[in-house]
Amino acid sequence: MRRHRVWTGKLALVVMLSLLTASWVFADARGVTKDGIKLGLVLVKTGPVAALGLPNGQGMVDYMSYLNEQGGINGRKVEVIWEDDQFEAPKSVAAVKKLIHRDKVLSILTTGGTQQTIANLEQINEFKITNIPNALVREFFDPLQPYIFAMGATYEAQYQCIVDYIVDELKMKDPRIGVVYEKKEYGKISLDAIKERAAKYNIPVVAELVLPTGSVDASSQIMALQKENANIVITCTLLPATITFLKSGQKYNYWPTVFGFNWATDDMIVKACDEGAKNYIGVNFVGAWSDETPGIKLARDLAKKNNREVGLTSLYINGVGVSWLFGEAMKRAGKDLSPESLKTALETLKNYETGGVFPPVNYSSTSHAPGEMVKFFKADVPNKRLVSISDWRKPKELK
Amino acid sequence: MESSLLYFVGLSVSGLAVGSLYALIALGFVLIYKATKIVNFAQGEAIMVAAFICYYLVTLFQLSFWVALPLTMLLTGLLGVLSERLVLRPMLGEPVFSVVMVTIGLSIFLRSLAGIFFGHHNYVFPSPFPAEGLRVGGVVLSYTHLWSMLASFVLMLAFFIFFKFTNMGLSMRGTANDQDAVALMGVNVRRVFALTWGLAFLIAAVAGIFLANVMVLNVGLAFVAISAFPAVILGGMESVPGAIVGGLAIGLIENLAGGYLDQVIGGGVKDVTPFVVLFVILMIRPYGLFGQEEIERV
Amino acid sequence: MPIRSKTFNESYYEDIKLFRTIWIKFWAVIFVAALALLPYIGDPYFVYLVNLSCLATVAAVGLNILTGYTGLISLGHAAFVAIGAYTAANLANHLGTPFWINLPAAGLIAAVAGAIVGIPCLRLKGLYLAMITMSFGVMVEYVVITWEGLTGGVRGMSVPAISIMGYKLSTDERLYFFLIAITAMLLFAANNITRTRVGRAFVAIRDRDIAAEAIGVNLTYYKVLSFAISSFYAGVAGGLYAYTMRHIHPDHFTLLLSIQYITMIIVGGMGSIVGSIFGAVFIVVAPEFIKLFAQSSARVFPVLEGRYDEEWNIAAFGLLIILFLIFEPGGLYSIWNRIKIGFKNWPFTY
Repeated sequence: MRRHRVWTGKLALVVMLSLLTASWVFADARGVTKDGIKLGLVLVKTGPVAALGLPNGQGMVDYMSYLNEQGGINGRKVEVIWEDDQFEAPKSVAAVKKLIHRDKVLSILTTGGTQQTIANLEQINEFKITNIPNALVREFFDPLQPYIFAMGATYEAQYQCIVDYIVDELKMKDPRIGVVYEKKEYGKISLDAIKERAAKYNIPVVAELVLPTGSVDASSQIMALQKENANIVITCTLLPATITFLKSGQKYNYWPTVFGFNWATDDMIVKACDEGAKNYIGVNFVGAWSDETPGIKLARDLAKKNNREVGLTSLYINGVGVSWLFGEAMKRAGKDLSPESLKTALETLKNYETGGVFPPVNYSSTSHAPGEMVKFFKADVPNKRLVSISDWRKPKELK
Repeated sequence: MESSLLYFVGLSVSGLAVGSLYALIALGFVLIYKATKIVNFAQGEAIMVAAFICYYLVTLFQLSFWVALPLTMLLTGLLGVLSERLVLRPMLGEPVFSVVMVTIGLSIFLRSLAGIFFGHHNYVFPSPFPAEGLRVGGVVLSYTHLWSMLASFVLMLAFFIFFKFTNMGLSMRGTANDQDAVALMGVNVRRVFALTWGLAFLIAAVAGIFLANVMVLNVGLAFVAISAFPAVILGGMESVPGAIVGGLAIGLIENLAGGYLDQVIGGGVKDVTPFVVLFVILMIRPYGLFGQEEIERV
Repeated sequence: MPIRSKTFNESYYEDIKLFRTIWIKFWAVIFVAALALLPYIGDPYFVYLVNLSCLATVAAVGLNILTGYTGLISLGHAAFVAIGAYTAANLANHLGTPFWINLPAAGLIAAVAGAIVGIPCLRLKGLYLAMITMSFGVMVEYVVITWEGLTGGVRGMSVPAISIMGYKLSTDERLYFFLIAITAMLLFAANNITRTRVGRAFVAIRDRDIAAEAIGVNLTYYKVLSFAISSFYAGVAGGLYAYTMRHIHPDHFTLLLSIQYITMIIVGGMGSIVGSIFGAVFIVVAPEFIKLFAQSSARVFPVLEGRYDEEWNIAAFGLLIILFLIFEPGGLYSIWNRIKIGFKNWPFTY
């Protein structure tokens, strides 16, 4: 009698276990149910870097809830789970693991910056995490990484465009370039790109100076640039350092044409520097907040509707754009949405317009590289904003 | 002036100007160390919080800067007294190391609270000083720095007099020397501690407001205090004039290194030089330039 | 004949034995069994957290030997971790040597660096020592960023997975047993260091260095030794970090990491090996629990719904450090001790 009971107990256990396994095996694709889609997001929310992560992530979340209001994606509502990585690689890896194994998300919109994405590379490939990282280094799509898509022009392309612009538009008689950079990945890559491009045009790079985020001022850098008579300054620094530089320049009555890349091309620069930003020209691969294109209008409406106090408008637009691409891909993937079909769907985007948020987007199964297109922006000091002064353009083909 | 000489003088002057900001930060550290023998790792957070308070007083409550300034000093001073009462007071008599750690905890706590209440954006401080610099014979100096130099000088003088000639100053010095002995002499050690923290945070307010004027205002402002560490140590932890000299010296060294070495050795020398100097100085003089050597007994 | 109580020791060596009672052995076996089963119970996320805790533990034990046992405060521990990480990475990448050479080498190079730093630090104490080690940390960070040939500079450096006879430790589950084994070995060694002559010399220096010298402890030798041992642990931790993260970058080894290690040994308990484990695990896992707590309290009190902000989590973390220091200066270790004494004679209390 007792032995019987033990046997039934064991049997029940085996049945339960196999049922559990079966339910796991035959479940819907990860993160997709009949009426819902779960997406992850790993982006910094705390500490000083949150100034960058928050508007970006808010843009993504707001666009997804906008899609939900429009009826969702093929009838499914999107839920975004946002994990904070505190801008640290180990925490980012942990966050991705949590999203994949605990929350079982379909994919992760972005796995953060360069460092974080590199640390996550193996997981990205193993779990087919289609994502658009917040980083623009070439190695993420050249050679092709199957699940990483680039969102905009690489740092190299941006600075090539800037040097082209100096040659074609400024037409200075004796251009002397000074470079101000941060000792970070983007700074180094950009510095090399500038030097290479300038050498092709035979323009001298007369000074290379480091200006880290958190510097109290940039006076020694300004003086060194003045000493070398640099009349063009190209900055490869994030927003705070660029602002410090412009403010210091104003103090010294030093007015070269100052260029900056996408992380420093934001309305904030004009708000912070006022007159000091009058000679600033930035490049970015998203439209300006003041544009009247449908995409940017939508971004402005979304921010207003969700009561967002958007600090860095360009990053909010950026976030909207990333979600926009994902939304479109999920729609195209249709009913049987899975990590694999999401990726294939993103690859079908051909000359896809995002209403002026991004330049036309082109992905294919052989290339996830962006179009390398950027726009130029100039400060509109009285209205405290940036206005675009060019259309989308690419680096020129040089021999 | 010859251009290379002008370059040198220009670098030195702006270095001293930045140094005056370091001196202001260092002063806060020294004050707390002088009375309580601990390094306050939350000093940077006090600076940041003060800058935010002033920012909100000016933008949200539409106060004029000159009204907001003393108000900020007062509020930040109160925060200092409050921190002392809630966090430091229970630690009275604990080993120095634990007390220092408690300030690290406080710094994490304050930084997060600042993020929650003040937001994470980059803010622009409405500077009361003109953005253009003052030109004297080819050398440029900004009004912000001019004022901060003035402020650090005045504060140094005030504290020098305070420590030298007032009863409270004497009690503070005594407390630093031997808590038990001064308590037996009838000094209210708790009041001394509370006042010290209040004053240190008050100075932090001054430093924070000047820093916010030249930098972008965000939570990261707190980390500037780390770059002031070399200044504090260089001058010696318990010397008020030392803090000023240390601050100025570090500013000067930093700028000269940036102006002359950055392009020769490779970028970023400017930021590491103060720490190299600190390393060398401590090897030669383990108590800083102006610090007092402790004579130990078993 | 004396009446023998349950733990009855007749010599000093019995008193400092590792497994003093049968119950300690019993619980040790249970603990090992639990550790062995863990990856089969927890999901990869959980296993990864345990792995991170292992890395943190090794580094924290090292710092505890220096700071907790010898009383020398270091704010440059992350620098030694970085030295170890880059040593291991370089050996693995350029010479292709296996892990059992790379990890000790990482430790040894860091130990040499530690000894070299230790010598000028002999004259310094307390905060000045903290500051000089901090500036050493900043200098190492600068070198790591600038010396691109060796470290890859700001591009970082990739590290191949550990391979044991062709079996690649590329996943967390596989790494788990490896890390646990190494950590256990190092903990065992640390425990032995601290309960022998060397450890007693360290404690004597911490309590009163001049008095220690008077009774014959060679200050120079033991202080430098303490630096070297501590850095060895940091170096091995760095090597393990390189093998776990598989990509290292200067940003991973900043002053903030050094402060984190200090926090670990404070929260865990200064001058205690077990305390270092507690502290390391606590620092890695606590944010999870705080978050869990915040989310479940939001379920109970709907007012809090949607109010959760990661920043609260960090604030709570800072607050925890403060509360620990105020109410439990001995750290988690002393809480653990109290619980242990309560259970010590269980189930036979008398």
